[in-house]
Amino acid sequence: MTAVFLLAALFVFLFVGVPVAVSLGLASVLTMLFFGDQTLLSSSQKFFYTMQVYPLLAVPFFILAGSFMTTGGVARRMVDFANALVGHYRGGLAMAALLASAFFAAVSGSAPATVVAVGSVMIVGMVKSGYTRKFAAGVICNAGTLGILIPPSLVMVVYGAITESSIGKLFIAGILPGIILTFVMMVTVAVIAHQQDMPRQDKASFKTVVKTFREAVWGLMLVVIILGGIYAGVFTPTEAAAVSAVYAFFIAVFVYRDISMKHVPDVLVDACKITVMLMFIIANAFMFAFLLTTEQIPQFASEFIIGMGLPVWGFLLVLNALLLIAGNFMEPTSVILILTPIVFPIAMELGIDPTHLGVLMIINMQIGLVTPPVGLNLFVTASVAELSLEDTIRASFPWLIVLLAVLLLVTFVPWISLVVPNLLLN
Amino acid sequence: MQAVRTVFNRLEEWLMAALLAFMTVLTFVQVVMRYLFNSGWVWSLEATTYAFAALVLVGMSYGVRTRTHIAVDLLTRQLPSVGRRYVDLFAILACLTYALLMLYGSAVLVDRLMTLGNMARDIPAPKWLLTATMPLGFALLTFRFLEAGWQLLRRKDDGRASGEQK
Repeated sequence: MTAVFLLAALFVFLFVGVPVAVSLGLASVLTMLFFGDQTLLSSSQKFFYTMQVYPLLAVPFFILAGSFMTTGGVARRMVDFANALVGHYRGGLAMAALLASAFFAAVSGSAPATVVAVGSVMIVGMVKSGYTRKFAAGVICNAGTLGILIPPSLVMVVYGAITESSIGKLFIAGILPGIILTFVMMVTVAVIAHQQDMPRQDKASFKTVVKTFREAVWGLMLVVIILGGIYAGVFTPTEAAAVSAVYAFFIAVFVYRDISMKHVPDVLVDACKITVMLMFIIANAFMFAFLLTTEQIPQFASEFIIGMGLPVWGFLLVLNALLLIAGNFMEPTSVILILTPIVFPIAMELGIDPTHLGVLMIINMQIGLVTPPVGLNLFVTASVAELSLEDTIRASFPWLIVLLAVLLLVTFVPWISLVVPNLLLN
Repeated sequence: MQAVRTVFNRLEEWLMAALLAFMTVLTFVQVVMRYLFNSGWVWSLEATTYAFAALVLVGMSYGVRTRTHIAVDLLTRQLPSVGRRYVDLFAILACLTYALLMLYGSAVLVDRLMTLGNMARDIPAPKWLLTATMPLGFALLTFRFLEAGWQLLRRKDDGRASGEQK
């Protein structure tokens, strides 16, 4: 009864257009008042406590680092370097867009930010060189989803915080699936490019490769600092995030000089907006999760599912379907926050590795980002590429096959998510 | 009145930016001090988390004003304008209910902390004072939702005060 009321209230609020954060909070508070034995005081306490969860401090810091990186010309330099590397293949500029997205994903923890950063540099260039606007949009839209798979990743921070599993391990686990996805997408571009006889560019001289690398290396160093620092135990993911933010500030203002000191407050305010938007959802989701736990809803769900005698692969298939549907209607953080408290205990009961589960959930969220009706990447791509939403959806659609194929691969081959962290961290 | 508003709005932004800068620099300095001087401030982490809370709590109402809170407007967008108006009014009422309940809950929490009179762990300040940002934040949030509801009633804009799906 409690569970039915909680979920019904949540969905009613969501669908009449109440902000996601308020929907989560109000559904929890009302359920608690009507059925629970907790008080408003304890919900407020839970809300406030969210900002004292140490791993979540990484959220504002990574967002700030991303804001400095997006505003500055970091993406442009990465595009130049990627172009020098692969531009001479047929469809080279599209491949460079993919590679640049992967590079940028390694300094940014957000998918829409990756689309904006790479897309605003790349789409015009691709159209000028003879690609159709739709093809360019499709590539950028999907490549941008790498932002949440390749570390650092805000969605991983949230998943790690809510399941109390290691964020450093998740980051490192995202590397190989990220490389595989980038590679598969590049091969896809190569195949399409050969069929459609797409343009290629002159091969860049070795000198150009070195020169563009030296320009881009300041940005690329960020992921080395983050992963190296966490791996070597120099700092926690939260400290790594703060170091990234200061590093990104330093690079943007003093090395690249793309941002003047005068504009630093604007970048800060920008980062604050995104931080508050996310944290408001997260804090309410913590109240929601708190209520789920005190009402023992995950236990019931767990017993029910286990009682059905579903094999692990069956559970994973059902989980993928559930996540894909949810991902269509909500943005990644909200989906992770709402569903993780329910599915995590079941997965643990079935012996699924928490890191593998995390990576699998992230790839599902990537697909949610490029599928209508609520695909954040679609909206952002449409505005960056100056295309209608319908055209963007149509342009992005064929890429779903690639994403789904990689999702199935990662779902049923846990080795892909686990080999790197096991190798490095044990 | 308008001038007061502009000043208040700028103040909101500056406060948020200052809090974020403070948190970032403090955490960064902490790492540097640990490795270079093998020392650190005990109060640093606690100060960071309270600054973080203040940032989010002040920012909630700012998000309503700048319409950055994500909402699902898939269904409401399909509605005819009359029906939509009622649905939007219901949504605003829900938001107000939420803000008021949380305002009450957090006020009770601060009151309890005052009665207990505990000091913070590492910062030389009473706990209730550091937590008082919460009722303050929810009071501001209530105000912004009231303002949005008022605008909706007067049809000043299309009433999506709760934020656009981006």
